[in-house]
Amino acid sequence: MEARAEPATEPPPVMEASSPAAIEVKDLNLYYGTFLAVEGVDMKIERNKATALIGASGCGKSTFLRSLNRMHELVPGARAEGTVALDDEDIYGPNIDPVMIRRRVGMVFQAPNPFPTMSIYDNVAAGLKLNTRRIKKNDLDTVVERSLRGANLWDEVKHRLGKSGSGLSGGQQQRLCIARAIAVEPEVLLMDEPASALDPISTLAIEDLVQELKQDYTIVIVTHNMQQASRASDITGFFNIEGAGEPGHLIEMGPTEKMFTNPEHKATEDYVSGRFG
Amino acid sequence: MRVGLQEELDQLEASLQEEGELVRRALRGALNALEQQDEELADEVIAFDDEVDRCYFGIETGIQSLLARQAPAAQDLRLVLAVLHNNLHLERMADYCVTVAKLTKLVHDTPPDETLTEALEDMGARAEEMIQTALDSFANRDVEVAESLVEMDELIDGANRRVVHQILSLSADPDLREWGLRMLLVSRCLERIGDHAVDIGEQTAFLVSGQFREFTDASH
Repeated sequence: MEARAEPATEPPPVMEASSPAAIEVKDLNLYYGTFLAVEGVDMKIERNKATALIGASGCGKSTFLRSLNRMHELVPGARAEGTVALDDEDIYGPNIDPVMIRRRVGMVFQAPNPFPTMSIYDNVAAGLKLNTRRIKKNDLDTVVERSLRGANLWDEVKHRLGKSGSGLSGGQQQRLCIARAIAVEPEVLLMDEPASALDPISTLAIEDLVQELKQDYTIVIVTHNMQQASRASDITGFFNIEGAGEPGHLIEMGPTEKMFTNPEHKATEDYVSGRFG
Repeated sequence: MRVGLQEELDQLEASLQEEGELVRRALRGALNALEQQDEELADEVIAFDDEVDRCYFGIETGIQSLLARQAPAAQDLRLVLAVLHNNLHLERMADYCVTVAKLTKLVHDTPPDETLTEALEDMGARAEEMIQTALDSFANRDVEVAESLVEMDELIDGANRRVVHQILSLSADPDLREWGLRMLLVSRCLERIGDHAVDIGEQTAFLVSGQFREFTDASH
């Protein structure tokens, strides 16, 4: 019988390579005036992944989301301590222009908010016109079409681009807002409860869209809908607060499948099982 | 708290324990019928399988309804999945009891070999004990008790091998040889019931740890 030589040492375990972090948050504290709303968050948000942030109301997940493109500080008295590195560059560093950060890190809000007096075309082009001094009409047409296609809206609106965006359904308006956000080609797309105002069909359309968008963008989505988090995200982070008036903390973060089947922390287990409160 | 979900989970677990009790009764009936060569009792065991099947379908339907409406997660989800597996394991065990009863009917007029009958009764008693141990480990979320099933299963496997040797050494009497062949299948059924009990133990470990692992690999 042929003898098979045993390897001298165990081969290294095969590890799934994780993408480099698109955003790395270190020891982040977020304040509204003197009130500490979110404390001590360390988080790596992976490139081209959909990361969901879940947690009960008031746990600080939306505040945290807004800190990722410096929208948090638009509230009077609000401030941040710590670092949020976007590709190794601290967005809270000196000489950083928040407007440029918001171009690189786009935001889609809970309620669809197309510019009501603008046409569908102008809604998509608005961000580009604001950010780019001169752009040729042909180039603009290309970007508008590409963005509407990217938001899975092109086929529904291509024959009425000159009509008002407010004439669209809620789900279409939200996809219009997504088209507007991706028209400026951000690196990261933040979504704050993007489907909470939508019907179930439109909600699924947004969730499907998230799966497509993550091929080109890094997505961070805040949601109250745990099924949505489990359906639409690759990574899930769970925020929690000890009690009213206490700061929110990131309790646990990991692959969505693990977070919803076998989380490490009891608080996460209770939350994803609906056994809180 | 999700009162409705918890009530449904409790009900599923209670039904599973009830199904386990039915299977133990079926096994005891099959063993008695075998030992006493009681054809009537064997018929009762065969008919009794409908009770087990009713319980099985009740649990299956309950799980389907719960999954559709409650979207359980984390430990709740693992519990539902484990009950789903265990339900099938118990139903299979009951089927083996039916097979033992049918084999008993086929040989009811052949004088048995007493040594072999005793060995089978001994295997059956161990299988009964394993069913109880498996269900207790599940109810109490006790992984240590669940793992003890491996040792119990090795005893049944050993008994099965001894039974095979005994059957091979039976006399050349054609009736006794036919009886022996039937008993070979009975022995195999009892051995498989032990395997399913170990599988239930593995579900206990999965429920507690969230990691599925076989207690022993297939080569054992």
